[in-house]
Amino acid sequence: MNTRFGAAAGPFLIWVVAMVLILVAWQVLVWVSGLPPYVIPPPALAFQTLFDNWPRLSVLTGQTLYETAIGYVLGALIGFLLALAMGQIRVVQRLVMPALIISQAVPIVAIAAPLVIIFGFGITPKLIIVAWIVFFPVVVNVLDGLASVDRDMLNLARLMGGGGLRTFAIVKLPACIGPLFSGLKIGATYAVTGAVIGEWTASSKQGLGTYLLTANAQMNTAGVYAAMLLLTVIGVGSFLLVFGLEVLMTPWRSRSTAPAWAQWNPPRTTS
Amino acid sequence: MPEAREPRTAAEPPGSGTPAPTKLSIEKLNVSFGSVTALSDVSLDIADGEFVCILGASGCGKSTLFNVVSGLLKATSGKIVLDGHDVSNRPGQVGYMLQKDLMLPWRTVLGNITLAASLTRGATAQDRAEAAELASRYGLGDFLNHYPHALSGGMRQRVAMMRTIAAGRQVMLLDEPFGALDAQTRLGMQQWLLQLWRDLKRTILFVTHDVDEAIYLADRIVVMTPRPGRIAEILTVDLPRPRPLEVLTTDTFVGLKRQIMQHLYH
Repeated sequence: MNTRFGAAAGPFLIWVVAMVLILVAWQVLVWVSGLPPYVIPPPALAFQTLFDNWPRLSVLTGQTLYETAIGYVLGALIGFLLALAMGQIRVVQRLVMPALIISQAVPIVAIAAPLVIIFGFGITPKLIIVAWIVFFPVVVNVLDGLASVDRDMLNLARLMGGGGLRTFAIVKLPACIGPLFSGLKIGATYAVTGAVIGEWTASSKQGLGTYLLTANAQMNTAGVYAAMLLLTVIGVGSFLLVFGLEVLMTPWRSRSTAPAWAQWNPPRTTS
Repeated sequence: MPEAREPRTAAEPPGSGTPAPTKLSIEKLNVSFGSVTALSDVSLDIADGEFVCILGASGCGKSTLFNVVSGLLKATSGKIVLDGHDVSNRPGQVGYMLQKDLMLPWRTVLGNITLAASLTRGATAQDRAEAAELASRYGLGDFLNHYPHALSGGMRQRVAMMRTIAAGRQVMLLDEPFGALDAQTRLGMQQWLLQLWRDLKRTILFVTHDVDEAIYLADRIVVMTPRPGRIAEILTVDLPRPRPLEVLTTDTFVGLKRQIMQHLYH
């Protein structure tokens, strides 16, 4: 794993350099063009706004992060369990799949309003919207994982005397872990968008989404950029967190031998 | 060319002067899929500890036969008798191995070898110790904690073979287990398998379409022909064991090969 993180250090450095270059270019362009800061704020001003308003912004970030995280876990859990049920029972899959596809075809912004009418200004509609976005890639990928299990492998398990439950736990479930994380990574970057849309529609509690609206209305463009930056950090942070979890939970993808905790060692005897 | 018939010496199960008792009987097996007859009147008795190769072109019903013997497929008529008991349609009485290694990528070599125990009652420390001992004895000792993707195709088939052995069935059905390996690796695997068989005294039914492989491995060769799948000929391989690679060029070997080729491509 050391080598894997070591190998990631190079690209990471390049990433930092690219970011700095973009910011510098942006700053210079704003200076040269002479555009007013409410049209395009220089990055320095955006950062300035971020630091000046940190006490408030940190609370708002906490609120949005909270909605994102709970909604995300909820969506992932529902998606995973739904996919398992669909994978195991063909009728459930046939029944549910069309509904799932339709659910994703409806614009999420259009769903937000009815949800607020039903559930009010509290956190519930936000959680539902985030979960709504997250569960779909999880369902699709986990279903693929279940379908990828070789029929001959299942026959072999049967011939070895494996019962349904053990075969499921030993042969099928682990085949879903990789695909599950593919779905979770897609969901991780989208989830925060769901929280923002939820806050935009109506909110009794302020978050970064509501802050965005207010800042925009006040021509506080630097504030909009500051919020944008924080939202991006949440998105990227979630992705990295899920990615780290994936590396830990799928050691067979990155290693040739089992990690120490999964290794077998001969019992110590004198022979 | 004289077809020298040497007396069957080491082809007999080790340690027995008298013919070994029948381990597995395939009795008057017929399998039809709709109007297509896949197997027609197939009968075969296999002695305890015997190594029988089933040879035939694709479509001759080799795999159908294996699926019936293993209990995965229901025969239209006929039965399978193991140790005197009718085991027709009872899956899990014999070991089974395919050309595909069917490794579980998230389990280590040892985890894959102990799969049968995990699937039935959960693998114990003793299961693991025994599996490790077995694997070490047959050249897998340095790879117990490796994941399958880190191994070559040949090594993975060795693991699959160990898994089949660890499952503990006395009769093992091997369906072209070396079919996907290159010629060099395959020869090594054949010698390795013969050593295993000699040590462990299991009964082996081995499907192949490789004539040389069948002669080199088997006590008896069952030649099958397609449409409908049926037994055309059963030949006894009178080559002493252990068989060094030189037997591949002896007169007996070549004579048998000619005989089989005539059946297969008459």
